[in-house]
Amino acid sequence: MNWKNVLSLMRVERKAGRLIRGRKLTRYRESGFLAYWPYWVGLALGIVAGLLAGIVYNFASAADPEIFTLFQQGALSIFISMPTLVLVYSLVFTTMQQIQRSGVRASSQVPYWLPVTWQEHTLASILASLMGFPLASVVFITSAITILSVFISQVLPAVMASLAAFAAAFMASAITEILRILQVRFIGAVYKSSGRAAVWVRFIGSLLFFLVFYIVYFYVTSGGAVTFIQTIASAQTAAWFIPFVWLGMILYSFTSGLLLQGFIFLALSILFIAGLFYIATLLNRRFGLYEPPAITISRGVYAPRAGFLGKLGFSTVEASLIRKDLRAFTRRRELMTIFIVPIVVILVPLMQSFGQTNAAIPPQVSVLMLALPFLFPASIMAMSLGSLMIGEEGQAVWRIYASPISANTLVKSKYSFIIFFSIIVLAITGIFGFLVYGPSLQATIMAYCEAVFLVFALGAVSLSNGIRGADFTETPRPRMIRLSWSLINLGACLLAGVAILAPFFPYALSSILSEVMPGLTGVAVLDPLLALVVSAVIAIILTVVFYRIALKNARELLAKAEI
Amino acid sequence: MSETWAVELKSVVKRYNEILAVDQVDLTIKRGEIFGLLGPNGSGKSTTLKMLLGLVQPNSGFVNVLGVDVKKEPVTVKQVVGYVPESPRLYEFLTGLEYLDFIGDIYGMQTAEKKNRIIEYLKALQLEGREGDMISGYSEGMKQKIALISAFLHRPKLLILDEPLSALDPRSARIIKDFLHQLKTQGVTTIMSTHVLEIAQAVCDRIGIMYQGRILALGDMKELRQMAKLPDSGLEDIFLKLTGTDDIRAVVEELLK
Repeated sequence: MNWKNVLSLMRVERKAGRLIRGRKLTRYRESGFLAYWPYWVGLALGIVAGLLAGIVYNFASAADPEIFTLFQQGALSIFISMPTLVLVYSLVFTTMQQIQRSGVRASSQVPYWLPVTWQEHTLASILASLMGFPLASVVFITSAITILSVFISQVLPAVMASLAAFAAAFMASAITEILRILQVRFIGAVYKSSGRAAVWVRFIGSLLFFLVFYIVYFYVTSGGAVTFIQTIASAQTAAWFIPFVWLGMILYSFTSGLLLQGFIFLALSILFIAGLFYIATLLNRRFGLYEPPAITISRGVYAPRAGFLGKLGFSTVEASLIRKDLRAFTRRRELMTIFIVPIVVILVPLMQSFGQTNAAIPPQVSVLMLALPFLFPASIMAMSLGSLMIGEEGQAVWRIYASPISANTLVKSKYSFIIFFSIIVLAITGIFGFLVYGPSLQATIMAYCEAVFLVFALGAVSLSNGIRGADFTETPRPRMIRLSWSLINLGACLLAGVAILAPFFPYALSSILSEVMPGLTGVAVLDPLLALVVSAVIAIILTVVFYRIALKNARELLAKAEI
Repeated sequence: MSETWAVELKSVVKRYNEILAVDQVDLTIKRGEIFGLLGPNGSGKSTTLKMLLGLVQPNSGFVNVLGVDVKKEPVTVKQVVGYVPESPRLYEFLTGLEYLDFIGDIYGMQTAEKKNRIIEYLKALQLEGREGDMISGYSEGMKQKIALISAFLHRPKLLILDEPLSALDPRSARIIKDFLHQLKTQGVTTIMSTHVLEIAQAVCDRIGIMYQGRILALGDMKELRQMAKLPDSGLEDIFLKLTGTDDIRAVVEELLK
């Protein structure tokens, strides 16, 4: 193993990873200190957190001596569960990084023609995946518990827990590496066997993968974390035969005075990590150069279709642009994730609030819950699509520039696509909302109307910003919109959304007050129809104004025509 | 503006910040001519070609294509031009067939005509059987063929081709060369940029050599030989002499040290 090679490869992979965060590629320079800021910040925050916890402990134990014992037991239980906890977190974060870095691979596969061994390549890849947020969080946790351990006189267990945490993070990264290679090979096999259906298999498969991943991610990073630690602490010893808890078992054995058992688990852990590394290397050697087969979508005689869009009044050019974008969003993996957003927006709060919504909250307030399925998914869809619709063209945008496409045609087709898709999302999530929340017919119609207003206005706002801030950079990952314009768009959409919904605020307030405090006099429930009309007028004005801005921006884009 | 000119550039300047990419270029190309634009890397060829299509705006000067001011009516110009950039990026999520269908629609082709031409071109360039695959699975040569077909499909009056034969197999390269000659007889103008000087010498009626943003030499092979004072030489020797890059032997000897 040539460690210089490993370090050089790691640097390349990590640099590619850092470039994803939207730095300028021309005249690129970075300072060593700033490049490693996540670790410095993790370390600093960990020290502060450890100090704070220690000070709180000192005060509390001075007031009540029993706290000392309780605190020591609690800390020990956390230390013991730390490796398994870090393993799960690191697994989630390294997988997340792999998803984001799917486009980087092509640019960082130079080891295949350089004199680098597969062991060196695999080790570099595992360590590179680990670096960034996963390692920064481990630095934070370990520094916090080490500092705290000084206050509670548990330095040795804390140092052991820290070392085990780093080993657990490496273990997680090795597992991610194995899963990555298997996934590439598995997808290739699926494409080959599914023939013409491959594109749909890929679409649905990717959606399901992202969906499961995000649900796990939200569970681990939200309220589930505390329950998770408790579960690990109590179930770890019972599940001693599972290799993933062996690191935790080392700590448990040593802190319980079972030295022989501790050494056995230590040896087993080392063997397991070495085994994971060996499997990852073996898989890389076997499938590292594997390229998934081409996807065949159509066979037989070519017959151009007249198209449904033509019947809706779109010109041939507009219809072909819309069709092209439809294919882009169902075939490009980085664009497919956009379909996850509305599902997650509905599912996550629903998972947390199931069974509580209609029971404890007054009916008038529960009407506000309609925002979840009706307003948010379609609005977020319109906002996201609008901001990406031009940038998603990537380097192939020269085709738009070189073709006889006017600004009017470009904006009309892109805007129609946004509206078309957002309305479909609204229809589906609206039906879902109606079935789950059971609102009155009037409330349902109102919610639908408001959502449509939001879709039209936010679509126009986002498209105008998306054109202005379009980023066609594709390496190391398609960016689609510059970060600054993404933030501007977020702010603009927020303001536009508030403006459109503002007429309903007095109505909502008066409804809630009259329901929650019936005795309160002077609260007259306002007419929602009036609010709807005012809201419509605001939405129309915003749509027209921003559509015109989008046209102006598109004219400039096509005139400038530089990638 | 003469009706005989397909392309007319007058005192065109293009600057990228402090870099002067194109410097006071004057150039006229006749209708039905195959014109080769040569030059070392960074000499301003691609920028000049892009300016003809309105893909790059000159800082000063005047660009006229087929009697139309590119700055004023870019869409009109694009309608009658076929363009292949250097290393063309295609929509890789489309199949070859879908891509060409899209191009046909963009240029407003009639359905029957579009269908016939797509089938003919796919057959001629031996892409039959792979047209239903996503472009992401194509080799570089296949992608180049799709890019070339998309430039020819709508029968443009002017072809702007940047390294058109790169990555093509010998058969396809020969087909494209012969096809360009046939199009010339129909009055189609071709402007091509290439680093393969044998191709330029064999295909082009006139050649322009660019160097540091300027047109250094312009004419047919006979005129270029006279300018370089190399009466019996090929284009490679003329090019190296005119661009001052004929110190090849010294460079090689230095590399061998």
